[in-house]
Amino acid sequence: MIRTCDVLVIGGGPAGLAAAIAADKEGAKVILIERESRLGGILKQCIHDGFGLVRFGEKLSGPEYAERFIDEFKERGIEAKTLTFVTSVERIKTGFKATIVSREGIEVIETTSLILATGCRERTSKQVFIHGTRPSGVFTAGTAQHYTNLLGQLPTKRCVILGSGDIGLIMARRLTLEGAEVLGVYEVKSTPSGLTRNIHQCLNDFDIPLHLSHTVTRVFGQDRLTAVEVAKVDEKMKPIPGTEEIIECDALILSVGLIPENEIAETLDVQIDGRTKGPRCDATLMTTVPGIFSCGNALHVNDLVDYVSESGETAGKNAAHFALGMERTLVEIKPNENILYIVPQVLDIKAKNDAVVVYFRSKDVYNKATFRIIADNKIVFEKRYAFLRPPEMEKIVADFSKFNLREYSTITAEVEVDAK
Amino acid sequence: MPNIKRIQKKLKAKYGEKVQVTFEDDIIRLTGELDNWDDVFDACSMAATKNSRIHVVNDIKFTGAEIPPMRVPSLIDTVLEGKTPDVLVIGGGISGCAIARELSKWEINVMLLEKNADFAMGASGANDGEVHVGFDLSKGSLKQKYVLLGNHMYDKLCSDLSVPFRREGQYALFTQSWLFFPVFFLCLWRKYHDGVTDTHFLTRKKILKAEPTFDRKIRFGVYNDSAGVVCPYGLTIAYAENAAENGVEAYLNAAVLSIDTDENGVITAVNTNRGTVRPRVVINAAGVFADDIAEMAHDRFYSIHPRRGTNSIQDRKSAKIIDTIASVQHINLKQQSKSHTKGGGLMRTVHNNILAGPDAVECYEKENTATRPESIKVTYDKQKGTVPLASERDIITYFTGVRAPTFEEDFVIEWGRHCSNMLHCGGIQSPGITAAPAFAIDIADMVVEYLSRLIPINKKAKWQPKRKAVPSLKDMSPAKRAALIAKNPDYGIIVCRCEEISKGEIIDALNRPLCPPTVDAIKKRIRPGMGRCQGGFCSPLVTQIIAEHENCALSDVRKASAESIICYGETKGGDTE
Amino acid sequence: MKIVCITCPRGCTIDIEKVGSDWQVSGNSCNKGREFAINEMTKPMRTICSTVKTTFPSAPVLPCRVSADIPKDKIFDVMKEINKVVVDKPLTRGDVIIKDVLGLGVDVISTSDLLAQI
Repeated sequence: MIRTCDVLVIGGGPAGLAAAIAADKEGAKVILIERESRLGGILKQCIHDGFGLVRFGEKLSGPEYAERFIDEFKERGIEAKTLTFVTSVERIKTGFKATIVSREGIEVIETTSLILATGCRERTSKQVFIHGTRPSGVFTAGTAQHYTNLLGQLPTKRCVILGSGDIGLIMARRLTLEGAEVLGVYEVKSTPSGLTRNIHQCLNDFDIPLHLSHTVTRVFGQDRLTAVEVAKVDEKMKPIPGTEEIIECDALILSVGLIPENEIAETLDVQIDGRTKGPRCDATLMTTVPGIFSCGNALHVNDLVDYVSESGETAGKNAAHFALGMERTLVEIKPNENILYIVPQVLDIKAKNDAVVVYFRSKDVYNKATFRIIADNKIVFEKRYAFLRPPEMEKIVADFSKFNLREYSTITAEVEVDAK
Repeated sequence: MPNIKRIQKKLKAKYGEKVQVTFEDDIIRLTGELDNWDDVFDACSMAATKNSRIHVVNDIKFTGAEIPPMRVPSLIDTVLEGKTPDVLVIGGGISGCAIARELSKWEINVMLLEKNADFAMGASGANDGEVHVGFDLSKGSLKQKYVLLGNHMYDKLCSDLSVPFRREGQYALFTQSWLFFPVFFLCLWRKYHDGVTDTHFLTRKKILKAEPTFDRKIRFGVYNDSAGVVCPYGLTIAYAENAAENGVEAYLNAAVLSIDTDENGVITAVNTNRGTVRPRVVINAAGVFADDIAEMAHDRFYSIHPRRGTNSIQDRKSAKIIDTIASVQHINLKQQSKSHTKGGGLMRTVHNNILAGPDAVECYEKENTATRPESIKVTYDKQKGTVPLASERDIITYFTGVRAPTFEEDFVIEWGRHCSNMLHCGGIQSPGITAAPAFAIDIADMVVEYLSRLIPINKKAKWQPKRKAVPSLKDMSPAKRAALIAKNPDYGIIVCRCEEISKGEIIDALNRPLCPPTVDAIKKRIRPGMGRCQGGFCSPLVTQIIAEHENCALSDVRKASAESIICYGETKGGDTE
Repeated sequence: MKIVCITCPRGCTIDIEKVGSDWQVSGNSCNKGREFAINEMTKPMRTICSTVKTTFPSAPVLPCRVSADIPKDKIFDVMKEINKVVVDKPLTRGDVIIKDVLGLGVDVISTSDLLAQI
């Protein structure tokens, strides 16, 4: 039997939930597919607080934040298919055809528009070229978090953490609270990757040392991990011979970056931005393929869930209004060399674009800098920043409606630095 | 008869009085002391004649580092105590498992011992999975004989054992124009003299037309249609499972510690950490430890010199860069014998990943499979010359195995020279995976002939050649998949998202014969954790499914060995309090 | 003295100094920052998020947190209390797990409906 809907949302984490609710509010018939048995995505295991400050003005834990959306999702009577996996999506005349597999068997759902809210995955030890043996005890921070927070199991008694990303910092505190000893957090860059407040409340509060410009080069142990080798790195982040040090421990926990999951998008020829590793989108968060929308960490890795929900809402609302045959004229927003990435990457000049939400990250740490969007030599938006840091995503709203954009328009985004 | 005087002269010129050579009992024995392993290797290689049945035995004391002893499982029990199998096969790699399966055709008791926590934990597990054609081998060696025979067996064998196998052809590519005529004539020689009948010499134009991703610097090449790819550990495990289904008793975590022989050199007892076994015949398929096992039976007439190799696996997303096997061959006349490293090849695996490697580095440690950054560098420096799109950035994992060559670089397949009931299957290295199906048959015949002199021996009436694999649902038609899910809803619960493996398949794998309930064993059998997230998402789920299936605590589940703890117990109210 | 404010993700670096009996605070972007900095100098407070053991096999632990900040030096004492509890009822989000933990005037509460859903 083939079922149909207006908006099919893939992924039941914060982005997908917000997208589904927003699309439902616009009157669309929505189905949401979730791989796991419960909605909530990764927030289920993010039991620490600090979520929802922007949106709710409260410091909520991950499950609390997610469940607020799940409650609304359920109240609205939106259909969710949990423990269900999308095996393929194909383009058809009327939109898209998704094949899903679950305990009930195999089903086909046809939809007009598609929202990819598939989140991200963690980089692994081999992707950062850690060598040595293959013992147990090498965990990504998310895997360690799964064991600790969902299964109540202690994955280490004495560990080293590589990467000062937020999950790594949060796990340093979590494991300490649960009785493990965290010997140190090592960061290959010369600046921390996570939020400053997490360095403070997760490391400093517990006297966990942070070693910048250091990395883990090797692991030891035939069965369980017995030690790691750390080394100082040079400016090119290459280990400096002679600086190696062996640290005895039972686990290496990795927080070395997140990669947006866009395997479904790729099969549908959605263009991927090399910087964000997510789809190139316009202001409605529609990808380069009409009818396919992207949001949350699949679009780009966010540091705040509030923005994840926000992008979900944008995608959901616009996906609900998507009609076949809609024509777009896309113009690229070109970032300058001080910008790590910018979302959206393109603008549909046929759209109103009067309140375009723009997210960006700076490439480096800058004190006193100006962010500017320029369209055909006219300043669309300008803002001064006391500091810009790559770990902290910035969000602005720009109005392009008065600038008479054409398909040959040049739009650039720049960060101009007063002093580095 | 080797010219010992000449060898002696050469050794003296290079190592002075540090190395001595004797020839006795058909053994070229090197003694002395050296502190550099490369020197040990060079000295022995200098004394050896390729493919000779007169072997070099390395008794040079290596003083540069301590050679670690063979790792032995911590388990001690008496499961094997008093057992008297007709045949005891030592080693659960491709050789041992294939031999056990061939022997299972007969009405005899066969026992297979593997010291690791699973099968295919040595070279068979870290292999690139190429099914070779033998283009690089000359007639006259055992390798050449068995690679030709083995290659032809693969279609039927893999169909019988339900192991994925694909013939995807192989290119040997050349960039040096001066090699044009030598290679052209080598092709003819291989084709008409050595029996590699599918050898084609191809021009640059033809190659680049068929393989547009190949490097433009290629001048010409050799192509063999019959080269293929197989899952090497999958085949090893399939052999073991099929052997078990046909009555072979197989034990993991069982290491041979010593062997008792009588005054006639006949093995009377094999002592293991799990008890003493008294077999009629022992097959030594112990891989890198074959010479150590031979020594235990006072029958060490060859030496194994470990040679490390590292393979890298790329994300399936990069699969489009190559759908065959290829490597650029570079001949360096000046520096031939010294370069122990090579960059291997580039191929699409049977699971549609790209594999790059292996390199080859002589080493003194037989079980050191730690990876090193330079292996990846050597491999990719070379492979970018095959396909420029090959990139380290697409790597999802890499692993190292240790090959088990003799200094003569040929297989040793023969009865013991001093121990009459030990059959040696040693020196098995590339193309061991290709050759194993063929030499396993010959070895089984040799054993049967030997035993038939002692006991009446008959073929099994009900031998089952076919092994049923765990169903792979993602490869099925929707109708077939739906039907299976209707029967067992667990097939509809996807646990590993990268490789699309269901809970049902994991439980099936756990229920297969000889499957240890470990995360790695499941990974090797049906692939959860083999994909781009490397188990980040699925490993806690697989751990949970194993715990449920085994009815044990989550903290009792292991990655592989008994000591490879995953979790230390409950965070609260549990045993860590 | 420089302090990093942990009240929100902005993580302002705040300068705080005692001038007479008063605190002189700068670098904060909001009033909460001022409050945090003064607290940090006088009686630093923190929150705890953890899990408690349950008797439900499919959800062996339930996430929890303290209902309001507790003194920083009581973190591990409160953790000990949290580690003692075993939940055997399907508590929902906000339900009290430990009332007035260690007499701090703060409860340990459930942060998920997980048990009610399984």
